[in-house]
Amino acid sequence: MTAFDTYLHTVIDQGTREAREDGSAAVEAHHLLLAIAAERETTTLGVLTSVGLDHQAIRDALDREFEHSLGAAGVSLAAFGLPRPSVDPGRSTQLGASARLALERGFSSVTRKKDLRPAHLLLGIVRAQVGTVPRALALAGVDQADLTTRVLQTLTPEDD
Amino acid sequence: MSGAEISVPQEPADGLAAVAALRRLADQLEDTAVEQAMRAGWSWPQVAEALGVTRQAVHKKHAPRLIAAGVKLRRR
Repeated sequence: MTAFDTYLHTVIDQGTREAREDGSAAVEAHHLLLAIAAERETTTLGVLTSVGLDHQAIRDALDREFEHSLGAAGVSLAAFGLPRPSVDPGRSTQLGASARLALERGFSSVTRKKDLRPAHLLLGIVRAQVGTVPRALALAGVDQADLTTRVLQTLTPEDD
Repeated sequence: MSGAEISVPQEPADGLAAVAALRRLADQLEDTAVEQAMRAGWSWPQVAEALGVTRQAVHKKHAPRLIAAGVKLRRR
């Protein structure tokens, strides 16, 4: 396995834990983003930190997105006062549609698989134009275009 | 009924995001409500009928989680 394969496996494993915590049957792109923020890979962490994002900040932004989106339909999460259900530690989770798209976008940004680096995974996630991640980033006050540029800069050889 | 009057969002992005969020809320509500019912001694057929699904479906979806959580379940 290449270093990237190892990283990808670690992120998907962590993303699976994030999805279970969420009570979600599928690992979605935002779970992969949380997973990247939970890993100790310096390049991706550096980019996220540079725009003020760590694991907790992403979690908070996702919670706000959930409340905000429910609010758009006139539903208040606070009104439900849901107790947290028990989590099944063995619940099988699959890669959801948004996570698959994020991986495809990340992988298609290189022509040779051996050029893949951890930042390509982050790039695939932050390149989504619609969905939970862009909405959560906007609510957190993060400029998504700027974030994408910062990720791309880490992938561009500085030889000019 | 505060918090339960559904309105239709004006922007397509908000409307689509609301659908995704409501599905997620429904899933969370189902997990919580099924657990509450089983802890209160309901049977699988009762829970299934109340949810409008088959008891095989509700058992398959929730039994492993509730067993792992140590909930005492009634026999089918």
